[in-house]
Amino acid sequence: MDKRRRNTLFKVVTALAVVAILGCAVYIMVNRLGLSPDYDFGAGAYYYADIPGFDKVVRDDVYHTKVPVWIHIVLFLAWGWLMYRLWVWIDNR
Amino acid sequence: MKTNLSKLYKTEDWLAVWIGFAVIAIACIAVLTGAFDFAAAKFSTWHLWEDVAEKKSLLAQLNGAFWVKLLRTFLVLGVLFTLGVKLQGGKVKEYIPAFLCLFVLAVVVRLISAEFTLNRYLEWAFWALIVGLLISNTVGVPQWLRPAIRTEFYIKTGLVIMGFSVLFSNIAKFGLYGLGIAWIVTPIVIIFMWWFGTKVLKIGNKPLVITLAAATSVCGTSAAIATGAAAGAKKNDLGIAISISIIFTILMMVFEPMIIRATGMSQLMGGALIGGTVDSTGAVVLAGNALGPEAEQAAVLVKSIQNILIGFIAFFVALFFATRVDKTEGKKVGAGEIWNRFPKFIIGFFVASLVASFLVQPLAGTDSVKAINGVLDQYKNWCFVLAFTSIGLDTNFREIAKQMQGGKVLWLYVVGQLFNIALTFFAVWLLLSGVLFEIPVLDLYK
Repeated sequence: MDKRRRNTLFKVVTALAVVAILGCAVYIMVNRLGLSPDYDFGAGAYYYADIPGFDKVVRDDVYHTKVPVWIHIVLFLAWGWLMYRLWVWIDNR
Repeated sequence: MKTNLSKLYKTEDWLAVWIGFAVIAIACIAVLTGAFDFAAAKFSTWHLWEDVAEKKSLLAQLNGAFWVKLLRTFLVLGVLFTLGVKLQGGKVKEYIPAFLCLFVLAVVVRLISAEFTLNRYLEWAFWALIVGLLISNTVGVPQWLRPAIRTEFYIKTGLVIMGFSVLFSNIAKFGLYGLGIAWIVTPIVIIFMWWFGTKVLKIGNKPLVITLAAATSVCGTSAAIATGAAAGAKKNDLGIAISISIIFTILMMVFEPMIIRATGMSQLMGGALIGGTVDSTGAVVLAGNALGPEAEQAAVLVKSIQNILIGFIAFFVALFFATRVDKTEGKKVGAGEIWNRFPKFIIGFFVASLVASFLVQPLAGTDSVKAINGVLDQYKNWCFVLAFTSIGLDTNFREIAKQMQGGKVLWLYVVGQLFNIALTFFAVWLLLSGVLFEIPVLDLYK
């Protein structure tokens, strides 16, 4: 397949995907799918602080770990640094 | 030296930090002493034509208290931003009327996005873009309004305020299980999307690639805002990344629980998968809730850890762009140059987060921090609404079509999100199925 035909095909497939995705989203909104009568919010509450009464939704006491917090923080920082180095390495190639 | 010191009170980044700190400090004093009310205005969910008994109608909430809060919000943000603009060398006489108009548009945006159905699916960021775009692409933006269109200034200030809500104590909420699911997967997905976007799809707009990657792998809008600002993304980049994320979040909120249920996955695993892959926190709660109470808690626990990642991802992205993307070919970037290029508002974000986590929370208690964040969240939202309305006002449809790069951006998101789901599923299976580790127990009945 030549480049021009491939580009056209790519654009057509993309346009069809956009129509399908938007149609699906509109259908969900019109029919109010995925909502819960227990909650006065939806996907529009993008950040946890936007959720009314979030402290009632998430419970602080459902799980307790024996691993100290500082170990979590060390692992967190170590993995972050390692991944940064990986990112730089991949970008160099 | 004089020049360097003057940057502290003359540059947009540092001024955003000081304004953010000022709002945080006032909110802390107001909540901890109880001496005065500092709450910003917020529309409750409203409806016009439906009988939703527990929701207030629009007119019922426009009472005296609401107008006082709205006036307070306008004065606080108006005074602080005007001062910031003056210190940056802007003309106050031109800025004040322009800001007043922009604030009115922001009120309209928040009003629309509080409507019952619209509020449940589409974020105010979406409506702010739509309102701005409608104006700029129909009647046009008058010249006198332009002095208020300072997208980056509002975003950076909002991010510093948001830093206070990022609590380090959340990191251990789900132990090493949560850390494994949220933190091992996230950077791998970002790196994969970077590689796929820049090397395979050959998208030249690197800030857009990284903004979309952060939105996909971390937590949608908030991560996109922080990362976009750290990478110096153009206003359109942010609008595109957030619009794609918002639309797909609607689909994932509905379909992901359906698919999980059909596969017979346990609630714990299904919830953790949702928490690691669905972008907005509200959608995470609802998708988890659709599977059951254990899934809901697991989903929120994983998402809470992801929320901590925002600042770190933004930090590494800023470092990467300062040292690699923005550098001159063949020239090594020194520490001084890195410091010059590094976006300073990220320092403000971290300081706010550290103060909340290690100073205010231990001294005043978790409940006080929650109450302070209840106040700050609205100021953050107003800053972001001002920013996104500004983006809409400064954008035309032709530019957006160009930025989509013939659909490559959409496929970057789709492929990245599928990779995110596959990798998160693998992490969830490895950690929570019992094949390698003991299955954790969530005590829901305490």
